[in-house]
Amino acid sequence: MEFAANITAAALFQQILVGLSRTTILFIVSSGLSLVLGVLRIPNIAHGSLYMIGAFMTWSIATVVGGSPAAFWLALAFAPLAVALVSFVVERGIFCRLYDREHLMLLLFTFSLTLVFNDLVKLIWGSDYRSLNAPDFLQGSFSIFGLPFPRYNLFLLLTGPLVALGLWLLTNRTKIGKIARAAAVDREMVSAVGINVSWVFAWVFVIGCYLAGLGGALVAPTQNITQGMDHAIIIEAFLIVIIGGLGNIWGALLGALIFGLTDAIGILVWPQFAIVFPYTAVVIVLVFRPKGLLKSVW
Amino acid sequence: MHNNPLTRPTWIAGAMVVLALFLLPAAVPRFYVYMAALILITGLLATSLNMVLGFGGMYQFHHAVFYGIGAYGFALIATKTSLPSWVGYLVAPVVAALLSLIMGLITVRLSKLYFGMMQISLGSLVWALVFRWYSFTGGDDGIHGVCPPEAVSSTTGSYYFTLSVTLVCLWLMYRIVHSPFGRTFQGIRDNPERTSAVGVDVRRHQLAGLVIAGAFAGVAGSLFVTVEGCAFPELLFWTLSLEILVMCLLGGWFIFLGPMFGAAVMMTLRTFVGIYTEYWTMIMGVVLMLIILFLPEGVLGLFKRKTTGDKPAEEEA
Amino acid sequence: MKKRALWTIVGLVSLGLVLAGGSAVSAKTIKVGIVDCYSGPPSTYTNDVRDAFQLAVDQFNAQGGVLGNTIEFVTRDSKFKVDIGLSAAKELLLRENVDILMGTINSSLALAISDLSLKEKVPFIATFSKSAKITGAKGNRYVFSMTENTALAGKAAAHGLAKRPYTTYWIAGDDYEYGHAIADGVWENLKQLKPDVKLLGESWWKVGEPDFTPYITSILAAKPDAVIVATGGRDCVPFLKAAKATGFNDKVPFYMHTATELSTLKPLGLDAPEGVIGTSNYFFYYPQTPANEAFVKEFEAAYNRKPAVGALYGFMTAHFIKQAYEKAGSTDTEKFIDALEGMVIDTPVGKVEMRAYDHQAMLPMYMGVTKKMPGYDFLVATDIVTISGAEAMPSVESIRKARGE
Repeated sequence: MEFAANITAAALFQQILVGLSRTTILFIVSSGLSLVLGVLRIPNIAHGSLYMIGAFMTWSIATVVGGSPAAFWLALAFAPLAVALVSFVVERGIFCRLYDREHLMLLLFTFSLTLVFNDLVKLIWGSDYRSLNAPDFLQGSFSIFGLPFPRYNLFLLLTGPLVALGLWLLTNRTKIGKIARAAAVDREMVSAVGINVSWVFAWVFVIGCYLAGLGGALVAPTQNITQGMDHAIIIEAFLIVIIGGLGNIWGALLGALIFGLTDAIGILVWPQFAIVFPYTAVVIVLVFRPKGLLKSVW
Repeated sequence: MHNNPLTRPTWIAGAMVVLALFLLPAAVPRFYVYMAALILITGLLATSLNMVLGFGGMYQFHHAVFYGIGAYGFALIATKTSLPSWVGYLVAPVVAALLSLIMGLITVRLSKLYFGMMQISLGSLVWALVFRWYSFTGGDDGIHGVCPPEAVSSTTGSYYFTLSVTLVCLWLMYRIVHSPFGRTFQGIRDNPERTSAVGVDVRRHQLAGLVIAGAFAGVAGSLFVTVEGCAFPELLFWTLSLEILVMCLLGGWFIFLGPMFGAAVMMTLRTFVGIYTEYWTMIMGVVLMLIILFLPEGVLGLFKRKTTGDKPAEEEA
Repeated sequence: MKKRALWTIVGLVSLGLVLAGGSAVSAKTIKVGIVDCYSGPPSTYTNDVRDAFQLAVDQFNAQGGVLGNTIEFVTRDSKFKVDIGLSAAKELLLRENVDILMGTINSSLALAISDLSLKEKVPFIATFSKSAKITGAKGNRYVFSMTENTALAGKAAAHGLAKRPYTTYWIAGDDYEYGHAIADGVWENLKQLKPDVKLLGESWWKVGEPDFTPYITSILAAKPDAVIVATGGRDCVPFLKAAKATGFNDKVPFYMHTATELSTLKPLGLDAPEGVIGTSNYFFYYPQTPANEAFVKEFEAAYNRKPAVGALYGFMTAHFIKQAYEKAGSTDTEKFIDALEGMVIDTPVGKVEMRAYDHQAMLPMYMGVTKKMPGYDFLVATDIVTISGAEAMPSVESIRKARGE
């Protein structure tokens, strides 16, 4: 029997909502990737590993704090910060020496980081599956047109715009954001006016990685926290950044929407080849707009 | 400096290596013969990538797709048709070249990183199709029990076949790199605007380079099936593409045999470090970091600089 | 300039020649080589196989070994990659000179090693890969399977489900070989056992699906009596989470092959959904026999954790190997295989026979329902129905047919 026969307005609506909550995670992760790519010109493959570390940290913090309802919120607050700290060490320790190298070298360097991070995760957290629960009031479902919609997905739907707003404020209303945007366009000029570009880069890198950690923390209650969860997300995040326009945060939002929604709709209309839908959407976008949908920073 | 004529000592050393490789099965246990065949195949794949990467300056981030398609091309001919499996060796490079042409037509107008990411996304599409298309490709299980032609099915037979084919391919690639086409190709890498200004069709040259490299990757894929007897979707997964990129980096991508050397080092490390620890990818990661930090032209690049006083590769690029 | 590079290669080749000299095997050891995935999600299953195998081997060696030989084993991490695993298997075979190959949770790799074992005439014991092809269509003299497979699980589940009052079903699962094979296995057998069952529809998701909600709602809309969920490995946990979040398990009963396994239920703690029907070869709390209790005690003492299903496979494999060598009276491979064919041994789950025709261990399958129980901080399987190995095994005729004999 064909799955497509079951499409009703309610199912479609619900599917779009699910697609949008998935979009939230994709947007948060890929906006961080885009930020780093735009300002530092680093195609950071280790971004996916940081996402995974974020999820594991969330699990660890929540477990250490114990069963109280506050555990999840504490973990959500501190796990991404811990990821940011890791990235700060890596940036100051190694990355800052490599900024004048070719993209390809940077890409391979981040690949080597991935290899190290993944084995570290195995060393620290071992091989068991981990699972984390959302606070009680976010468990269970709402009924939307008679179909259940998990509360946690609704929470994700609300979080997405908040993060987007925060990023907008950061890039448009703070000094570091303005300098970072200027540095993305012309880093020589920024350093010529006496700003220490190296530290601006450090901050941007840390913020970008914070977003990866935040994505991992947010996804933790819905998934099996395990090694290998970095694999799928990193390629998706890269594709999103590419179709959105390299380095453009709003492009990342647009890309995430396209990716999340084509995936969700694909499941509904042609489940057997749903896996192909988002990739096809990416190819179509790039055939018509080779530089991505929105203006790329470089 | 790539167009330096081959000097006499180089010829002698080269002939000695080839001789040593031909004598190898007589001298070492079977496992090392098998390893040598795998190294040659992976090295051939990495060298074909380096044609577009090192010599063409194109960010081909998903070269493994052509390797995998070559492998499937051969495996499908050998298992699903009544044609003699020798036909597979012709089909593999042809389908890989065709795929490379199609992907190239879409991607070649893009620059640098966009080109690379587009290759990844198109390549992932191909991977998804292979992974999903059960009736044709065997899905995630892949194709097993592929019988290569009788003459090349034993370890030694497949080694000699691999060695011969690899040597011929390397020679062909060397000739291509040092042909007028190859020089134009490197000119495009070093200065696309200027090359374009003197009337060279940059896109067409790049497309030709992609197709040639794809075909050689396809040959490597068919050799892989000859040695291992199976084809599976991981052969066209993006992580393998990054691994061969690393091999090019390790050996040095401004040197013709750099990727072959990188493949040898990587495969040897993988096999022998893997015996002692489960954490060999971490060790590999650290080694890679050190190379990027301290040996950006690769190990052979360092040798070259030390022995000839050549300028570092960056200035050449 | 190129000279130097070429000399390096000359050096490397000679280094290879030197390396090749090492690694002689003493005559008084039986060497087993394990290739398995010890990285990434599958390692949660494979570590148990290895550890239980180690436990048994240590016991044998302490008692004087097998036919006076000590058993030794080496492991290699395949990283869930066929190429790495296959070259590791060849390394074990040709360089370590192992007498027996075992392992791998990855079916594609298991099939590849199976081809290798036939070519090299070395026994290969598959310990966790679920493809029915290994001892079915692609089986050969040198391959043995110590684990249930998709055909066995499907048939066992059909036996269990046929006893339940459901007639309309929905099938959903992982859109890859394993998922489809399990689903087909259950459905084909269920139709034979209970001809009035009706399939209302199917849905398939990709492996690693981030959100199961849309599938669950479309299934609920069709109002089936029960659902067959053919998902495995790491997707079990998020699916059970989604089932709990949407109240799926309260609205419609569903069967999921590995739902009751420790590896799946333990991470979820007390928040796993109740009432899920699952099948497994083993629980540390079932069967409640002295043999199993002793095994659990030994395993816990050695590793400070409860054994999961993989531990049974590892432990059993070691015992089969030992007893087959003893029955053969020599370490000759062909005699070992002849001895292993049809052999029956005592295991923590009772007597298990290695079927002579297809080399598939005839393991009993336990169908149970998830439930909270006092004393456990995770859900356990209750109302366990045992489907014997003989009931669950696909018939020899069907295997003959699959092999085209």
